[in-house]
Amino acid sequence: MQNSVMGMLDGIVVCDFSWAGAGPIATAVLAQCGAEVIKIESASRPDPTRSSEPFKDGIRKGLNRSGYFANRNANKKSLALNMTHPSARDVAVRLIAKSDIVINNFRVGQMEKWNLGWERVKEINPRAIFVTMSLQGTSGPHSRYMGYGVNLNALCGLTERAAFPGVRPFGTGTNYTDHVIVPAHTLFGIMAALLEREGTGRGQTVSISQLEAAISMVPTAPLAYSTNGETVGPLGYGDPEAVPHGVYRTLGYCGWIAIAVFSDNEWTSLKKVMGNPIWAEEDRFSTSQARRLHEDELNGRIEQWTATCYADWLMDELLRHGVKAGVVKDGREAVEDEHLRRREFWRYLEHPEMGTTLYNRAPIVFSDTPLSTKTAAPLIGQHTEEVLAGMLGYSAEEIEQLSREKVLI
Amino acid sequence: MTFFSKLQVLDFTGELGPYTGKMYAGLGANVILVEPISGSPLRRIGPFYMKRPGTETSLPHLYFNAGKRGLALDLTHEQGRQVFRDLCARADLLIESCAPGYLDGMGLSYEVLRRNNPKLVQTSITPFGHSGPLSGAVGADLTCAALSGFLHLAGIDNEKPVRAPDNQSYRMAEAYASVGSAIALYGAQRTGQGQFVDVACVEACAMALESSPQHWNLEGRIRRGRGREAASGSIHPCADGYVVLVAIVTNSKASWDAFANWMRDEDVEDWSTFANDKWLDSRYRKSQEGYETLCRIFEKYAATRTKFQLYETGQKHNVAVSPVSNGRDLLENPQLTHRGFWQRVRNEALGGDVVYPGAPYELGEIQWRFGCNAPRLGEHTSVILRELGFPPSDVGEFKKSGAVYAE
Repeated sequence: MQNSVMGMLDGIVVCDFSWAGAGPIATAVLAQCGAEVIKIESASRPDPTRSSEPFKDGIRKGLNRSGYFANRNANKKSLALNMTHPSARDVAVRLIAKSDIVINNFRVGQMEKWNLGWERVKEINPRAIFVTMSLQGTSGPHSRYMGYGVNLNALCGLTERAAFPGVRPFGTGTNYTDHVIVPAHTLFGIMAALLEREGTGRGQTVSISQLEAAISMVPTAPLAYSTNGETVGPLGYGDPEAVPHGVYRTLGYCGWIAIAVFSDNEWTSLKKVMGNPIWAEEDRFSTSQARRLHEDELNGRIEQWTATCYADWLMDELLRHGVKAGVVKDGREAVEDEHLRRREFWRYLEHPEMGTTLYNRAPIVFSDTPLSTKTAAPLIGQHTEEVLAGMLGYSAEEIEQLSREKVLI
Repeated sequence: MTFFSKLQVLDFTGELGPYTGKMYAGLGANVILVEPISGSPLRRIGPFYMKRPGTETSLPHLYFNAGKRGLALDLTHEQGRQVFRDLCARADLLIESCAPGYLDGMGLSYEVLRRNNPKLVQTSITPFGHSGPLSGAVGADLTCAALSGFLHLAGIDNEKPVRAPDNQSYRMAEAYASVGSAIALYGAQRTGQGQFVDVACVEACAMALESSPQHWNLEGRIRRGRGREAASGSIHPCADGYVVLVAIVTNSKASWDAFANWMRDEDVEDWSTFANDKWLDSRYRKSQEGYETLCRIFEKYAATRTKFQLYETGQKHNVAVSPVSNGRDLLENPQLTHRGFWQRVRNEALGGDVVYPGAPYELGEIQWRFGCNAPRLGEHTSVILRELGFPPSDVGEFKKSGAVYAE
């Protein structure tokens, strides 16, 4: 028992084979809740995000400078283990025996190749929760198809609608599904299995099909098609309820503000902030239906006005009048955002090679057991000896031997 | 009895929040949707069943509130508040998306609610959360996406960003609210003490910035979206829509060669242009020449193939190409069909079937379920009040006074 504030998952051990995007984001949240996450990597097969930009000071050198990697892996321990070496499996087995959660996001079949599939893990540790994150499920004609977040964005139906009518669709510009949808569903499955284990004493499998999780959060297009034969198409800035609803130019390079007007009261307030221009009093803008009929013209009028304003001042004024508005912030502005800083969403941690650098916590604020971000992302293999000598009970001679055999690289 | 079949969840959400309760309903929890007398605002959102707008025909309502029972009450009415307090007294989890301060103002603060039920977890999903300078501000999906830095990424150079569909700011917060609730429930099970869980849409969106904060922090650069780097998540028209193409990852020659081989095997005109290591250099792929060359050669071929043909052929060549699916593509997708993902459910009140997305997660020992159809307004008010121990005379009186609505 620690004297400091308890993490909700203190004492939970995670054997983390996951890499790249969605898996590490999920285990990072567990780590912030106090779980001990042991990340298994190897210099011969490092997490590919260690080589993904951005790099500290733009210097792409070695495996310890990537911010892409760092933010997904804070508060974890790195165990360098070359799984292609026959002696590596014993280390993994000892770790699995101590673990509550064993997670991977390899292609289907990799864990089985190491003889560490669920059937085997269950024998090593019946309390273990075994988590797999396949792209499209472990069975079926496309279960071995390749893809990244940007593929899933498209496949799940998001990209088709994240588009302006008449031009090629764009999507989110990121590997969106990797960042929230897949890790959150994975975490929910893990927590469900942990809760269930309190009663049964047994672990179980948690399988996430990344595609199926993604569709569940983007359901409108298939619902509309299956029920009405309707193809809903590109969304633009449209909203079924709000009008005006859009992103409008303001002063400055890439200066934009989002404004969303849902009710007649909000429309009245927007008019007031605009200074009650004569055009806005015309019949064709008087009701929500009328505004929708003349939406393009309305948006043009509003943009003529916003284009002369500073986005931040305008947002303050609109919010003060109860109109939903938000500056379109870029990465820098988000990092400097007063609200996010006051809520301690951003965290700066000391990294041996990168110095004091930027991280964020998970978007969950617990009243009694705050999330903890203590240590920066690990250097590759930083905790190999510590984990082997401590938790796994290897002697100094055994560790020496394994190092000589190049198992621990 | 599994943990979840005993779990009592109250869902007092509207447009923002309903997916959290659905995650629990899928595991068999007893979820009660608490609605105002006028109905959840989600009921106003289309598309509608058979394109017939009405209280019971909103497809988002039918989907997000499936597996829940429904009760309608008026919190401005003391008897309505009494029912709410009684519901909370026996609940494990209250999920709500009221404006910060609203429930406090009704005398239903977390402190009050947990007085008779210390294990109660309350998860509050709001645009900006319960602290910080914007906590009292009004917010919407689009404005949260904008403020978080998420929206800005959905564009290139100085182009206006494009919006993701289906209110992803709300969905992201709901997904993380499910997680936060489960973590707090895990603690409550061990300590007997619940806690208040504050989930802000603007923070959930800021989880989706990929590397944009670190681009600024480490390199002093502002990044925008990917999409116009040749074959690195670029989108291309084909005979019946679009495909997305990722033919190169971390400059790996093997992945690019797979793509070049695909083009060669299909005898694509000028395919040999791709048999050149300059494509391994991201600067070339990002250049106008690189992008336009790829578009010219690949799109001439793609124009003669459907997105599904490109998907099958490309994947056979180990290229990460995928269709840009629309609703129809998803319903006809052979993988999803094989896995029995889609759930066709009869709805007697509508007089027809609706096909819904199915399980978003699979557990070895807990069978996911769709559950009952989304409740009609006030459908279960009477039965839930009886379960709470109110005698029929009270139930009648509550209805008459307008404190509750029962169908």
